[in-house]
Amino acid sequence: MVRFQHRSNSALLVEQEAMADEVVRLDKVRRDYLVGDQITTALDGIDLVIERGEFVAIVGPSGSGKSTMMNLIGCLDRPSAGSVMIAGDSTNELNDNQLTSLRSKAIGFVFQQFQLLPNTTAIENVMAPLLYQGKSTKEAKRAATQMLTQLGLGDRLNFDRNRLSGGQQQRVAIARALVTSPDIVLADEPTGALDSKTGAAVIELLKDLHRDGRTVVLITHDLEIAASAPRRVFLRDGLIERDERGAR
Amino acid sequence: MKLLGTATLALNRIWATKIRSLLTMLGVVIGVAAIVALTSIVDGASQGINKSLATLGTNQLNITAMAPDSLTEQDAQELAALENVSVMFVQSQNQGTIATGDKRVNARLVGVSAQYFEAVKPEIALGSYLSSSSFAATAKDVVFGADAANDLGLTKAMLGQTVKLNGQDFRLVGVLDDQAGFGTSGRVYVPIDSARKLFSQYPYVSSIVIQANTAEQVDTLQLQADVLLRERYGLGAETVARYTITNQASLIAAVSSITATLGLLLTGIAAISLIVGGIGIMNIMLVSVRERTREIGVRRAIGAKQSNILTQFLIEAIVLSLAGGVVGLILGEIAAFFLAVIGDWVFSIRLDTVGLALGFSLLVGVVFGVWPARTAAKLEPIDALRFE
Repeated sequence: MVRFQHRSNSALLVEQEAMADEVVRLDKVRRDYLVGDQITTALDGIDLVIERGEFVAIVGPSGSGKSTMMNLIGCLDRPSAGSVMIAGDSTNELNDNQLTSLRSKAIGFVFQQFQLLPNTTAIENVMAPLLYQGKSTKEAKRAATQMLTQLGLGDRLNFDRNRLSGGQQQRVAIARALVTSPDIVLADEPTGALDSKTGAAVIELLKDLHRDGRTVVLITHDLEIAASAPRRVFLRDGLIERDERGAR
Repeated sequence: MKLLGTATLALNRIWATKIRSLLTMLGVVIGVAAIVALTSIVDGASQGINKSLATLGTNQLNITAMAPDSLTEQDAQELAALENVSVMFVQSQNQGTIATGDKRVNARLVGVSAQYFEAVKPEIALGSYLSSSSFAATAKDVVFGADAANDLGLTKAMLGQTVKLNGQDFRLVGVLDDQAGFGTSGRVYVPIDSARKLFSQYPYVSSIVIQANTAEQVDTLQLQADVLLRERYGLGAETVARYTITNQASLIAAVSSITATLGLLLTGIAAISLIVGGIGIMNIMLVSVRERTREIGVRRAIGAKQSNILTQFLIEAIVLSLAGGVVGLILGEIAAFFLAVIGDWVFSIRLDTVGLALGFSLLVGVVFGVWPARTAAKLEPIDALRFE
C-alpha cells in the first residue's frame, strides 16, 4: 500500500515524545439545538480524550450525536456548555475567523461524498487548503503534487472529478486532508459512497496513516468499519455508551 | 488566500458556466451600449446646433425693432460709435415675392448695409457677394439664399440675368451656400437703399447688428447699447417694448443647456436599464450561492475564511458586470459610429464616456454583488455542508 516517507527521523522522535499529547479533550460537553421552538440535546455532557497518534472510531446510529461530535472536533461548531480543546486551543472563546484558522491548521476533513470542489482538477483541490493558509501558488503546487504522487495519483494531477473513479476521488479528498499536515484527520463516513472493495482500500489507507503516526478520527454508523480502529467510542442518545480498546 | 488566487477561482467559475455568464451580462451590455450610443447622439446633435449658431457669429448682438418705426439709421450710427464695436450693420426685412420668367414664389426680402457680408461671411455658391458698386444709389443687385435660389430653380447660367423682386427688376450677382442655416432660408439679399425702394421707409431699419471685438466684451456692450437706446428714446428702466437685444453667446449657452438636459435625461433612461442589468446579476448570483452552498461549506471546512468566500463571489459579480460593460462599450461605440455616418456628424470616442461606462459597470457589480457575496460568506459551515 502507500508509504509515507517524508517524515525524517527527528520528526519521528518529536512525534513519539508527543505521543502523550492530548489532541482532543472534551469536558462535560453539551450541545443543544433549537428546532422550531423545542430544544433538542444532541450531546449531553460528554468527556472524551483522544491522544496524538490514536486511531479512534466514533460509532453510533443516526441521532446518536456523532455528527455533532464531528462538528465540534472539526472546529465547525462550538459547544453550548463544557469545553472543547483541539490541539491545545479551546474553541469556546474563538470567533469565526479564529475558529477557521484553528480548523485550517489542526483538522483535515475527509467527507462521505468526497466533496471535491466543482470545476477544479485533482491538484487544484489539494492546493486549496494551502492557498487558504496563505501559501504561495508555487509552494502549494509542489506540496500538492508530492501528496497526490504518494497516494498514487501522480498521473492524474490535472484530471477533473468527472474523469476520476470513486476511489480516486476519495484519494484526492484524502490528499487534500493530509496536505496541511493536520493534527487530526477527521473522516466522516469515508466509505459511505464507495463499493466494498474500494471502501476497504480507503480503510487500509487510514490504517496506514495511523501506522505513520497520524491521529485519525473515523465517524461511522457501520460496526464492521468501526472494527478496523483500535479504539471505538460508541455513542447513543448523546452519551458515550462504551469506550472500547484493542482488536475485536 | 491571496487575491489573485481568489480572482482565479471567480474567473474559472465564470468560464465554466459560459452561456449563463453571457446571459447574466446581457443586461449590463444593453445598458452600457445604450448610454454610449445615446451620449453620442446628443453630442452629435449639439455639435450640429452649435455649428449653425457659430455661423451667426458668437460676438454679435442683435437689436430687433418691435415695430416698423422703432429703430433708425441714426440709432445704428450711435451704436457703432460705442467702444469695442468692430462691425455694425443694419437690416430691413419684409415678406415679398421673387420671380423669374413665369415662376413666382414668396421670399423674405432682406436689405442689408455694406458691412453685412464682412460680418456674417456666408459661403458663396455661385457668383459673388454684393460688392461696393452694388451699394451705389443706382445699382439694383441681388444675392439669393440657397433656398430661394432652389425655389426659383436658378442655375449658373442665370448669373447676371434679371429677376423680379416685388415686380421690380434686379440683377442676380450671386447665390449663397447658406444651408444648415438657422432660419436664413428662402431669403434674398439686396442693398438696404434698394430695400427702401421696395418696402421700407427711410430712416427706419428692422434690426441693427453690432459685433464686439472679443467675446468677453459682449455682455458689457449689450448693457451699453441698452442704456444708449433707452436714453435716446427716454425709456424708463422697466419698459422695453421698442426693441429686443439678443446675445448670440447667451443663445448658444441656452441651447447648450438644453442639449445637456436632454443628454442627462437620455443617460438617466439608459442608467435605469443598467440598474435592471445589475438586478439581473444579483439574481443570478443569489441563485448561484444557493446552488453552491455545499461547495461553500467544503471551502469553509478546508480553511476558507468568510472574507475569502465574500471576495470570491464579489469578484465574480464585478467581473461579470465589468465584462458586460466592456462589451456594451464596444457595441455602443459601433452603434455611435454608424449613427455619426447617418447623422453626418463627427465620430469620436470620448474618454469620459469610456470612463463613465466602465465606472458605472464596476459600480453596478459592487452594489449588486455585495448582498449575494455576504449571503455566501455568512453561511454556517455545518449547515452548508449538510445542504442538499
